[in-house]
Amino acid sequence: MRRPRLSLREQPLPGGQPLAFGTGLLIALIVGILLLLAAGHEPLKIYSRMFEASLGDPDAWAKTINRAIPLGLAGLAVAIAGSMGLWNIGAEGQIMAGAIAAAWVARIGGDWPGIILIAMMLIAAVGGGGVLALGPALARAKLGVNEIITTLMLNEVAIRLVQWLIHGPWKDPDSYNFPLAPMLPDQARLPTLFSRAHFGLLIAAAVIVIASVAVRYTAWGYELRIAGSSEATARYSGISLSKKILTVLVLSGAVAGLAGGVELSGTADRLTETISNGFGFAGIIVAALALMRPSGVAVVALLFGAVQIGGQSIQTLGVSSSVSTILQAFVLFGAIGAGVFSRYRVVLDADTRSSNKELSDD
Amino acid sequence: MNILAGVYRPDNGELKIHGQPHQFRNPADALNAGIGMVHQEFRLIPSFSVAENVILGSAARVLRNKQVELEVSELAERFGLKVDPSQPLWQLSMGERQKVEILKILWRNAQVLILDEPTTVLTPSEVDELGEILTKMAEDGRSIIFISHKLHEVSGICDEATVLRQGKTVASALPIESTDQRELAQLMVGTSASTADRPEPNTPGGPLLELDRLSALGDRGLEAFSNLTFQVNAGEIVGIAGVAGNGQRELADVIAGLRPSTAGSLSMNGSDITEASPQFRFKSGLAYIPEDRLGVGLAPRLSITDNAILRVYRQQRRGPFILAEKALAYCKDIVQRFGVRSADLDGPIAALSGGNLQRLLVGRELDGQPSVIVASQPTRGLDVQGVKAIQELLIEQRNSGVAVIMISEDLDELLTIADRLLVMESGLIRGEFDPRTASRDEVGMAMLSDGQATTGI
Repeated sequence: MRRPRLSLREQPLPGGQPLAFGTGLLIALIVGILLLLAAGHEPLKIYSRMFEASLGDPDAWAKTINRAIPLGLAGLAVAIAGSMGLWNIGAEGQIMAGAIAAAWVARIGGDWPGIILIAMMLIAAVGGGGVLALGPALARAKLGVNEIITTLMLNEVAIRLVQWLIHGPWKDPDSYNFPLAPMLPDQARLPTLFSRAHFGLLIAAAVIVIASVAVRYTAWGYELRIAGSSEATARYSGISLSKKILTVLVLSGAVAGLAGGVELSGTADRLTETISNGFGFAGIIVAALALMRPSGVAVVALLFGAVQIGGQSIQTLGVSSSVSTILQAFVLFGAIGAGVFSRYRVVLDADTRSSNKELSDD
Repeated sequence: MNILAGVYRPDNGELKIHGQPHQFRNPADALNAGIGMVHQEFRLIPSFSVAENVILGSAARVLRNKQVELEVSELAERFGLKVDPSQPLWQLSMGERQKVEILKILWRNAQVLILDEPTTVLTPSEVDELGEILTKMAEDGRSIIFISHKLHEVSGICDEATVLRQGKTVASALPIESTDQRELAQLMVGTSASTADRPEPNTPGGPLLELDRLSALGDRGLEAFSNLTFQVNAGEIVGIAGVAGNGQRELADVIAGLRPSTAGSLSMNGSDITEASPQFRFKSGLAYIPEDRLGVGLAPRLSITDNAILRVYRQQRRGPFILAEKALAYCKDIVQRFGVRSADLDGPIAALSGGNLQRLLVGRELDGQPSVIVASQPTRGLDVQGVKAIQELLIEQRNSGVAVIMISEDLDELLTIADRLLVMESGLIRGEFDPRTASRDEVGMAMLSDGQATTGI
């Protein structure tokens, strides 16, 4: 019987990952056509609208960029942990912790000059995200507690904290009893670069470049990659694993926290329940598509931002928002699926007696 | 064995059961054909009860717990396996968990049971118990394949023995009754295709590495070796012979600082390093060539250059950065001097062949100009050229005054290149020999248990 089977390629296909992403996009577009037809829309019209709204003119680019900023930082946070084989599923909560810390600074420093206020807000955001990651980091480094679970659970803590603040102590007295925190003072807002694209673009780009260089070219990053490839080898060469785990997870949380601070100061007017808007979870997808390489995060975040903005824009044409979510899901499916084929080839069982490096190889 | 149990599929050849050819696509196929396997790493679910684990994969759609527990305990009693079917698995000892694994296979009514090194997780009294259980199952008409590194267990439990070495059958179906243990031991350690020439004798200097009543535990928390006392002098190769799994791997790990010792002391160049970190040991001149090259010595997903600089990257920095040109130059140097054949130094190390991997690893370790080298199975799995190259490198080091410990399963290799030979069995040194005068027979005898320290099987 000839059964199809996946067999490991000796070398991954060159350019496999961009190719995979492109294929994923293509698959999503094709599925989308069927989906839109079934829902009674005109696919071409919808697609051109999506393109125009996300990449059609400077205003559209600004929207996409503003979306890509938190996605990229959150993706970077996940990728930093991922380069060492750790999973930070708590970026969502760390973004909120960062936003809370930044909002607090804005409350107490309302009369500081803008540049100092913004700098202090961002520093506080970094600290807030780092503090939320500290518990899971310590538990993993000292006791071996699985960081996936602890970081995930702290997301709940962070969102409840935001809810409590905006329903309670930080509620805006002028909000007619809506659960809203007060507006940020004007000088606490990040300046814009063009259209509505804000200064966070430069911050995010700088942080991504620094992190990529650090992971690729420094001794610190080298140790990180060694530890991510083989723990035993790291121990053998005298790298302290627990110290590494601790710093990497806290750093990951700090970067996510920065995303929260930038988002608060750049696009949101005030601290709200939806300040993170799922960026932390989308960041996991961004990092996965970038193969956990900090250097790949920027491009993926931009594309992902465009898909999200485009997806939102078609709601005005009467397309349900779930359709755009489904499209995003198919981009992911397609990209990950195509990624598999860049590393594995399909063979038929009967004629492959010699190449037996199967998936089940252990 | 994984092929027999349906975990892997064969590339070639066929498998017959009762004369019928069979092809297994998965373990379930094998079980249906009556072949079950107890793996070294148990396949059990800690939060389930014993009974639930036993019926795993063969459960009826509706679970009647009480009845299943009753049936499981009947089955257990029949073969003398004492376990409480309602107890959650995580509360059981390793020995009891193994009984659950055996029960699981008996539950499926397997006629052929494969046990992969079942005794490594057991205390001596549990080994005795396992022997009785297996005998009972054999009397019940079942066939049992018992895989072990330990000769006294094989001769105590089995009726026939087949010796496999490096994937080939060396001897098959030897009746235990009429086979000498010594003969078995020799078959197991075997002869190698080619070795380097015997080095010129030289006069060893003072002791560089000293072990004083050193003890340590294995991965399962049982004693791996105890009270080891010996020293390695400058300019000599001390061979550690013995069948694998008798504490050699743990010994190498303890010397390298990757496993804590539980008693005794270890010193190098006269200073105590019992508690020292692996990094400190390396800096003080200890090189380690681990048995598991890709898992312990190298980082498989990183490039050849990244792997080459593992020991020296701390010296190749400017500020926080690793100097790429320096790293590459260093890597090129190692690759050239030690004859690593590789096209792309930025390519992943996993693309190298076994021999080239080992040359890179050994080259990297020797480049630090060590005073002590611990080499664990350094030539295993290499081709003829590779074996010779590694052996010659070690001899060269010895000639220049380095103290070398070489752990190997290949007795001929040790008899040729070692200056002294220690034989390890069940975590103890069973004898010391001069390789120039010792015979294979004598050494082979020492590899066997003397029957006092271990079980009475």
